[in-house]
Amino acid sequence: MTTIQAANFPSRVRVWRLSVILLVTTSILFIIGMSVGSTGIKSFILNTSDAGAWQIIFDIRLPRTLAAWLAGALLGLAGAIAQGLFRNPLADPYLLGSASGATLGVALSLILLSTSLYAENWFMRIGITSAAFFGALAGVLITIFLAKGFQHTFRLLLAGVIVGVILGALGSFISIMNPEILQAMQAFMLGTTSFAGWSACVIMSIALIFSCALAWPLGKALDALALGELTALSLGINLNLARAIFIFILALATGTAVSQVGIIAFVGLAAPHLVRSQTNVTHHMLLLLSSGVGGGLLLAADILARALIAPQELPVGLLTAILGGSYLLWLMHAKQPVGRYK
Amino acid sequence: MIAINTQNISAKLGGVEVLHHISAAIPQAQWTSIIGPNGAGKSTFLKVIAGLLPHTNSVNIFSIPLHTMQAKERAKKIAWLGQNEVISDDLLVYDLVMLGRLPHQQWFSSPSATDHHIVEQALRSTQAWNLRHRPINELSGGECQRILISRALAVQAEIILMDEPLANLDPPHQADLIDLIQSLTQQGTTVVTVLHDITYALQANHVIILNQGSLSYEGATTHQQTHAQIETVFSNRIKIHPLQGSWVVMPQNR
Amino acid sequence: MKVHWLLIFALVMVTSSAWAIEITDDQGYTTSLQKSPLRIISLLPSITETICVLKQCQKLVGIDRYSNWPESIQSLPSVGGGLDPNIEAIAALKPDVVLVGKNSRASERLRSLGIKVIAFDVKDYADVHQALQRLTLILGAPPKDAETIWLNLLTQVHTIASTLPKAANGQRVYFEVSSTPFGAGESSFIGETLKRLHLTNIIPSSLGPFPKLNPEFIVRENPDLIMMGYKQSGQIEGRPGWKKMSAVSQQRICTFTPTEADILSRPGPRLAEGAQIMANCISAKYP
Repeated sequence: MTTIQAANFPSRVRVWRLSVILLVTTSILFIIGMSVGSTGIKSFILNTSDAGAWQIIFDIRLPRTLAAWLAGALLGLAGAIAQGLFRNPLADPYLLGSASGATLGVALSLILLSTSLYAENWFMRIGITSAAFFGALAGVLITIFLAKGFQHTFRLLLAGVIVGVILGALGSFISIMNPEILQAMQAFMLGTTSFAGWSACVIMSIALIFSCALAWPLGKALDALALGELTALSLGINLNLARAIFIFILALATGTAVSQVGIIAFVGLAAPHLVRSQTNVTHHMLLLLSSGVGGGLLLAADILARALIAPQELPVGLLTAILGGSYLLWLMHAKQPVGRYK
Repeated sequence: MIAINTQNISAKLGGVEVLHHISAAIPQAQWTSIIGPNGAGKSTFLKVIAGLLPHTNSVNIFSIPLHTMQAKERAKKIAWLGQNEVISDDLLVYDLVMLGRLPHQQWFSSPSATDHHIVEQALRSTQAWNLRHRPINELSGGECQRILISRALAVQAEIILMDEPLANLDPPHQADLIDLIQSLTQQGTTVVTVLHDITYALQANHVIILNQGSLSYEGATTHQQTHAQIETVFSNRIKIHPLQGSWVVMPQNR
Repeated sequence: MKVHWLLIFALVMVTSSAWAIEITDDQGYTTSLQKSPLRIISLLPSITETICVLKQCQKLVGIDRYSNWPESIQSLPSVGGGLDPNIEAIAALKPDVVLVGKNSRASERLRSLGIKVIAFDVKDYADVHQALQRLTLILGAPPKDAETIWLNLLTQVHTIASTLPKAANGQRVYFEVSSTPFGAGESSFIGETLKRLHLTNIIPSSLGPFPKLNPEFIVRENPDLIMMGYKQSGQIEGRPGWKKMSAVSQQRICTFTPTEADILSRPGPRLAEGAQIMANCISAKYP
């Protein structure tokens, strides 16, 4: 009786609509993504006879396209978690120092790479990817340490800002002292999918599945937090544990995405807002939908990055900044206030 | 039967001791009001017995020490409604009230038919069922307050603690809430409210008077002794007048 | 670096039917080539030039955006820079080997696609010689070609040095490679050329090949001659404290055209031309 009535809210129906639109759009984007290459946009279906062209599509374009979606999905999920956890609509996945930690890790590994002696092969095996990942984790750990635990979200935010500034400064300092790495650093900071192969896709898929699986049941904790910390506590939520797990997911998701494609802004910030502007859902669905929207956003941006000035490429982080920034600007000036936070 | 028993508890806020050695007993299946001058520590006391703030010595819920209870167990036994909780969200009313069922749900499960039934009941008892599709931030202060009360009701706990539940409510809805509380106690629920309006506080069965962090007096609202104590605590700036089987509190001019 | 090069030499089996070599590049990565590569992509201008000087230009199928000499290669497809090459474009050209200046993530990505990548780290004359030798090996050219070219180069530089005016002998020089400022030290290839031209470098080898300098250091050292190896914006006289330097007051500042700057900045087979460019300026400043 009322069970069924309760489920058929107008906004619930919109969830299904959004999901379908998302699925269809993403599929189309995928197909476009496989057609965009060094020769501009050319339908890949026409190339079926050319084995060499197929190899390019399979070995290079497909993993890149998939990597763009996966990275966007990771960032979208992380962004939704960050905004729910800190109850702040401006929160993005990097606010606990993960971006600056990753950058510092990359700077250090670039120096080691360039000065490594023949005998020091293990430096090279660590590689930029691992350095970025562990750098991101280290940044978050330092933030937690500075904030003395998970209890106070304000302290965490503050510590995150401090760590971001300090590690960022360290990274800049290293770049200046060793300017031969400046160009590589910039490439990393602006983001690109050109180095993403199948191994990157596998790593990100695992991270995404794991993060979603952990985050899904904890969606309830985020909903309860919306009522205030004390109320959440009174409902039996172990806030410290929930925060710890969420921060772990944040670090894992952002660290993985950043290490594979560099630092990409705005996707994590904009994806949850996009979802909220179209529908009103509890955090379960919000987390998943943010992930899907984030994937679609970055996929679209990557296609533009590859297609606009082909055969040259724009850094995809530049495009997400422009697109994401414009979208948020539009949101601000929209006639009707949309989104959760007015 | 005593629902909540505090034995010599003290509590600190920001390093300063704000509750001093309070030993109080809150009777079961009755409505107890906590009153006192501003800054007496009423909200703090409520949070302590809800298990939300640390304290010395012990608080017993139905003779079981609060600190030995698991969080979920406590959440099922005690529902807490805070004051001035800022909800900056466009959470739907129905979803918000459903959050009250959290203590009874598993992490992975979606709401059961029972959960839906209880949420509907809770919303209807505050005359808010017609608001269920609306986002919370589109509601007026009074409507919002009724939703929050529904959320606390949805927990179906044996003890409900409410901090200034009448805030933002207009007189008809205030009367409704008092009726609701009285029917709850008749069904065996223990209700504890912090109220600054003493007229309404005297509608309760039992009253606890706090003054500057200490227990000043506790007693039945019908006793003359209680009334005298209340007037004294407020420096005799108020006077309690009987009116049609109940009481009205008026400020006492010099 | 020179030691393991000899080891490679020992591994070479140069017969018509079993040509296979293993090269360990300057960052310790080992690549094995089963046959002499016929399709080569070069992402380093000095390597491009060396290949052409060895008369193997026709084997190039792709170059980086900075390679511009000789003219014949300018029509080749450009596949981006050394650090940001277009992976797809490179793969589409189906190269047998890609020659790069530094191992970067791009190299990793290319290797993961099964494309062979060999990195060259060329900082001084010895490195240039070694690159010549390595490339002859890779290209399957006769090893003596490398030695001939190298000897010619050294001889040319020597000849150029002997034409310099006596007045320039032992003069103290500062060679700036970028405006940060970065200078060319004794241990760099530019520094070695300057040394062969009988000039003294104010930047000792202890500071490394291309150190970032404190401008104060340059002022204190007070070089007799300044060479600006790049297109700089703004007058250097405007730099604080530089007006008093003897090189500035006596107008002994060498500036170069973009083409000349290209030649000067490449540690490749045109080192002698670079020496000539420097010599022209020196002769002009010390008449």
